[in-house]
Amino acid sequence: MPGFTHLHTVSGFSLRYGASHPERLAERASERGMDALALTDRDSLGGAVRFAKACAAAGVRPLFGVELAVEALGLPGSEEPVRRRRVPVRGGAFVDESTPRVTFLARDGARGWSDLCRIVSAAHAGDGPPLLPRGDNRGDGLIVLLGPDSDVGRALAAGRPDRAAGLLGLWREVYGDSLRLEAVWHGRKGTGPGSLRLAARTVGFAAEQRVRPVLSNAVRYADPGLGPVADVLDAARRLVPVDATKELDSGEAWLKGAGEMGRIAERVVEAAGFRRDTAHRLLEQTEAAAAECLVDPEGDLGMGSVHFPEPHLVGAGRRTAQRALASRAVAGMVLRGYDGRRAYWERMHQELDIIAHHGFASYFLTVAQVVDDVRKMGIRVAARGSGAGSLVNHLLGIAHADPVEHGLLMERFLSKRRLVLPDIDIDVESARRLDVYRAIIDRFGSERVATVSMPETYRVRHAIRDVGAALSMDPADIDRIAKSFPHIRARDARAALDELPELRQLAREREKYGRLWELVEALDALPRGIAMHPCGVLLSDASLLSRTPVMPTSGEGFPMSQFDKDDVEDLGLLKLDVLGVRMQSAMAHAVAEVERVTGERIDLDALDFERGDGDPATYRLIRSTETLGCFQIESPGQRDLVGRLQPAGFHDLVVDISLFRPGPVAADMVRPFIEARHGRAPVRYPHPDLEGPLRETYGVVVFHEQIIDIVHIMTGCGRDEADRVRRGLSDPESQGRIRVWFAQHAAAKGYDAETIRRTWEIVEAFGSYGFCKAHAVAFAVPTYQSAWLKTHHPAAFYAGLLTHDPGMYPKRLLLADARRRGVPILPLDVNVSGVAHRIELVSESGRAGGTWGLRLALSDVHGISEAEAARIAQGQPYASLLDFWERARPSRPLAQRLAQVGALDAFGDNRRDLQLHLTELHRGARGGGGDQLPPPLLNVWDVPPAGGRKTAPAGLPDLTSAERLSAELGVLSMDASRNLMDDHREFLAELGVVSARRLRDARHGETVLVAGAKAATQTPPIRSGKRVIFSTLDDGTGLVDLAFFDDSHDACAHTVFHSWLLLVRGVVQRRGPRSLSVVGSAAWNLAELIELRAEGGLDVVAARLAEPVAEGDGGDPARGRRIQMSTGYELNPWADLRPAGQEPSQVRKLWHQSPGSAG
Amino acid sequence: MTILCVRFQLPPTDEAALPGLLGLLEDFTPVVEALPPDGALADLRGAERYFGRDAVELASVIRVRALAHHGVDCAIGAGPGPMLARVALRDARPGVTCAVPEDAVAEFLAEKPVAALPGVGAATARTLCEYGLDTLGLVAAAPLSTLQRLVGAKAGRDLHEKASGIDRGRVVPNAVSRSLATERPFTRDELDPDRHRRALLSAAEELGARLRALDKVCRTLTLTVRYADRSSTTRSRTLKEPTAHSAALTRAAYGMYEALGLQRARVRALALRAEGLDPAEQASYQLTFDPLDEKARRIEEVADRARAKFGPRAVMPGALAA
Repeated sequence: MPGFTHLHTVSGFSLRYGASHPERLAERASERGMDALALTDRDSLGGAVRFAKACAAAGVRPLFGVELAVEALGLPGSEEPVRRRRVPVRGGAFVDESTPRVTFLARDGARGWSDLCRIVSAAHAGDGPPLLPRGDNRGDGLIVLLGPDSDVGRALAAGRPDRAAGLLGLWREVYGDSLRLEAVWHGRKGTGPGSLRLAARTVGFAAEQRVRPVLSNAVRYADPGLGPVADVLDAARRLVPVDATKELDSGEAWLKGAGEMGRIAERVVEAAGFRRDTAHRLLEQTEAAAAECLVDPEGDLGMGSVHFPEPHLVGAGRRTAQRALASRAVAGMVLRGYDGRRAYWERMHQELDIIAHHGFASYFLTVAQVVDDVRKMGIRVAARGSGAGSLVNHLLGIAHADPVEHGLLMERFLSKRRLVLPDIDIDVESARRLDVYRAIIDRFGSERVATVSMPETYRVRHAIRDVGAALSMDPADIDRIAKSFPHIRARDARAALDELPELRQLAREREKYGRLWELVEALDALPRGIAMHPCGVLLSDASLLSRTPVMPTSGEGFPMSQFDKDDVEDLGLLKLDVLGVRMQSAMAHAVAEVERVTGERIDLDALDFERGDGDPATYRLIRSTETLGCFQIESPGQRDLVGRLQPAGFHDLVVDISLFRPGPVAADMVRPFIEARHGRAPVRYPHPDLEGPLRETYGVVVFHEQIIDIVHIMTGCGRDEADRVRRGLSDPESQGRIRVWFAQHAAAKGYDAETIRRTWEIVEAFGSYGFCKAHAVAFAVPTYQSAWLKTHHPAAFYAGLLTHDPGMYPKRLLLADARRRGVPILPLDVNVSGVAHRIELVSESGRAGGTWGLRLALSDVHGISEAEAARIAQGQPYASLLDFWERARPSRPLAQRLAQVGALDAFGDNRRDLQLHLTELHRGARGGGGDQLPPPLLNVWDVPPAGGRKTAPAGLPDLTSAERLSAELGVLSMDASRNLMDDHREFLAELGVVSARRLRDARHGETVLVAGAKAATQTPPIRSGKRVIFSTLDDGTGLVDLAFFDDSHDACAHTVFHSWLLLVRGVVQRRGPRSLSVVGSAAWNLAELIELRAEGGLDVVAARLAEPVAEGDGGDPARGRRIQMSTGYELNPWADLRPAGQEPSQVRKLWHQSPGSAG
Repeated sequence: MTILCVRFQLPPTDEAALPGLLGLLEDFTPVVEALPPDGALADLRGAERYFGRDAVELASVIRVRALAHHGVDCAIGAGPGPMLARVALRDARPGVTCAVPEDAVAEFLAEKPVAALPGVGAATARTLCEYGLDTLGLVAAAPLSTLQRLVGAKAGRDLHEKASGIDRGRVVPNAVSRSLATERPFTRDELDPDRHRRALLSAAEELGARLRALDKVCRTLTLTVRYADRSSTTRSRTLKEPTAHSAALTRAAYGMYEALGLQRARVRALALRAEGLDPAEQASYQLTFDPLDEKARRIEEVADRARAKFGPRAVMPGALAA
């Protein structure tokens, strides 16, 4: 029995076409006894690297190829006249898929692969859907399969062998002997693609034309029975519902084994009029074609080798990169004043040796070059990651913090024994990230630079939307179902229905939707689109384009590799992570604002806080836990930790950031550390020798660096080996081996058994949890800087935050925080507001330099375009409404919104009158309005417009105060004039709700009622493996942190996720003077209660409160199921998801929409 | 307190029952105005004295009779004028007749939303609400000139009068039914133009048959396409000459459908409505020398007779037979 090789197989990387992952295909091919398998995705090579890896694991030889839409090679005069269809009034036009498709396979090693990359890049270069232009349709290293979807196949299907022969001639001119005709039989009727008659015609035609035929199955999915999934994918791609009365997927396009393909071959040759035993010739031809395709993943794709930009591009001139690096490092030593210190020299030479050993000098120079360029553009830049542990990085100006001073280790980053590529990440201002990309592309040229892609895969919500639309479900139903799910994987849909309390209602109607759930789960993790990765940039030498297919990004037109970030690492492409950090943008804005109004230049990088005590006021602020908006320490959990830890110096911040990780929290390193720090527990070391590395953290292991040092001290193995050992700890298998090794070596160094046992316990418990100190130091710098700004320039700080919107909280919460900290909030005003948030001097008295207020920005108005905002800001000031209308030329809805939020109050007192005037100005501008009154301007103005600053009253009722608030929320998503909870003080007082301010004095264990607007909800992974819902409420006087444990989920989860204003009954939990939270036991939708109170009085409210709450079994919804993490700790399967419900930052409406509300 | 506005609770497809129900109202007064598809206005000025009961009591009689004779429930609003009766109907439920007190019209209207006024559609209501005029009281209080600036000179004046409770309308007796409608729903999102056309053909055939049965011709044909997201598109076409000829109706329906150029729109229903109904004998008919047209009409006549005898599915276009 001869084998069979599928030459035409697509995976999920054929967007909305293939139904199986490449890994699954490779697995199945191996199970079904195939030696080789081709991957020929539509328009993409994105799955190639995964496929190669999966094939290596499964013992299958991978073949690489691609299926592309091709421009007709062109019989003269054969082009069909383009028939233009009428533009549909609704629903849009059909997706055009009429272009013929051809499969290309890479034949000759690296040349074949580079040809593939070239044609894929060429197909994506044009506008519109990918199409391979005629001129690029060539390549010596390729084999071409002309299948049923090619122009030749279509001519055959149409019964036009003459035409097919003509078309084939054109192909033969280009590809000569590399041409194959592909026969496919899917058991369809008629003569179309997949029919026996077309397959037979193809084989007969091949014999007649003396072109070799091959047999394929045009595989779309790995296993039988996935036809309905293919139908859903077709529907999602074509944006139409599945039509059961039309031709559906045949269900035959699966990865059939050799036996079945042999039977198909027999039927096909028989139908073509040959003897049955000629079938083996067809199969032989197929095998021969497969045998020709020789592309070796290691050698030809370049997997496992490294390519850096050429040295002359990174400032090495004619020297070698290593010498250039050494001389720059020495210059850095002198510049930073370390030249007198021996330790620094030794460290530098040691590091240079390691770099030379790996030949990575170009890499360091490349990063340094990028950082220099970015800094020259005036953009804030900082290094993060383990790269901060290298002195050379510090000397080159890549990393700020001095690694010797902070005890950071080079070995954590790069050592002679580490084989993976080193990894330096740089943080830049988020608002200017794309400028940085452009600068990099300009510096190195587009043939060496590409951004990295990121497949967007189906998760439950998108899967429900696409399957629902394919199944003709009611759009309103689809929307409701999709929104009730948390952001989980699609394959967990049914499990979530069974287990999550907030989905209980939906679970009751699950039967109604029939096959929906099954199909949703089948779509799990299939790519549905491809986007630019937010931070990765590929840098390579000039051969980049022959090793990776590149397509332009949709927005900016940057070149983007089709490979994702893991793929490019496997391919040995150098990836530089350029992360846009919004906090950097916010700080840059704050500094610029201060300079604009006072002329004072603040250099945040020159704040000398890393040594010594730093600024006491800043640490006072941090200790007060009012750290909203500060980098890394603003989350409820962090505020709690900061409150318990009470940081007093930079090192404390570093520790704080390291402790707040799932690992340390899970290993309960937090409590012993805090106990020891406040002197409530003695500091213990397993052995006096270990005091050195452990002293700074009171004997608790927090950092990776400490584990490296402990292993190094106990065994004397050297730090580079110790780092390898540390990595091995996360793997249970190697852990056993390490344990024996550790005991032997430590005993050899003369430590007693008890010490070894205790030390090993610590090392083992640590696993690989801890945190790289180099990371933490890099994080702590912006943390301190932001806290410093909040302390000393609060108005500018909030202006920066609101402009660049960093952090986890909605903007309105930052505004509430600003109000609490005494920063006056100045309303939007077209005569004063800028494009971005600004600061303004409110009064000269008060604190040093007067009181600064925060002026809201035009850019926060809903629906304003950049051009409009800039035009309004440029034209300031405006003398009258007419003047504003004529010079700023706002669109009508924008002008209405500005009037509603009071930005035009300077021109009149009544906002509705202003709106009316604006409407008439608009009507007048459009040139008369039918039966309207005479030109309004004649009777609108009491006095002639030239002199009139105020508009005449029209007698409309002005916005009420509630309407103004509603307008502010709708237009600015912020309650700018006052806190929205202020309106309900009376009702809350009736209920006896405790305000956040008074809650600080509440006793531990007291049962209280709290209320407020929900600011953030999370279900993070926690130590007990239970699912806990954490939420934060804002009630105007402060924040209330809530926790709901799983015994309350049945009663509360749905309300908490899906309401915006909450009333919660709970018990006060105190863990320290500044650490306080409320454990919720019941929750109500406060908006509903407020409405009931307004309509029916307290009795109706009482009736609502008396309603029984949903009772469940109260147990763990996951029934003890836990996800075992690679790091060894357990996780609740539903933890750490973006929960259901609307993001609080998206809320634009007040709780109810009265008929009279504005807009 | 003499005008009643009645809304019969008819199932949506049972518009044809309206004429019979209007006959019921005509037992009380000759001045009855049909409000298709399911309502009517009745002026009981004379009837009150004749029956010796006031309008609200008569409303109860009407409801009892509608239930007893036709098995149809109804809600009734009563007021001094037709506009007020219609506003009152909004608050009425079967069994609870809402009456506008003659001496407190302004108070009655003050709290009502603007959309309650007949003649204030969604667009006008949105405009008014945008400017904070969400109740009729506020509208009445606003200066007339401002209202006119908002909605136009004539509409503004009308609105102001109506909101102030000035009801200048009268009940105008009209023909039983001014339009006929039929709808073809699909069980799922239907994109196939062939099936759309078949639905249109069958709807037009039905309308034609119903028109001919009533001896009516229609002047205008309206096509409504309903989509999966509950939105819809409406197109109207005035026919070359008033007709009840199925082929002409089908042609007009196809024309409107083609003009939409639908491709990916998820159609859930197609509805046709024949409007501007007049008695067939008053219709003009352009004669031609083409015998085909004449033949088609004669075949239609025969087919109608066959259907009358053997049921509606006895004769039908071939496209619908499958």
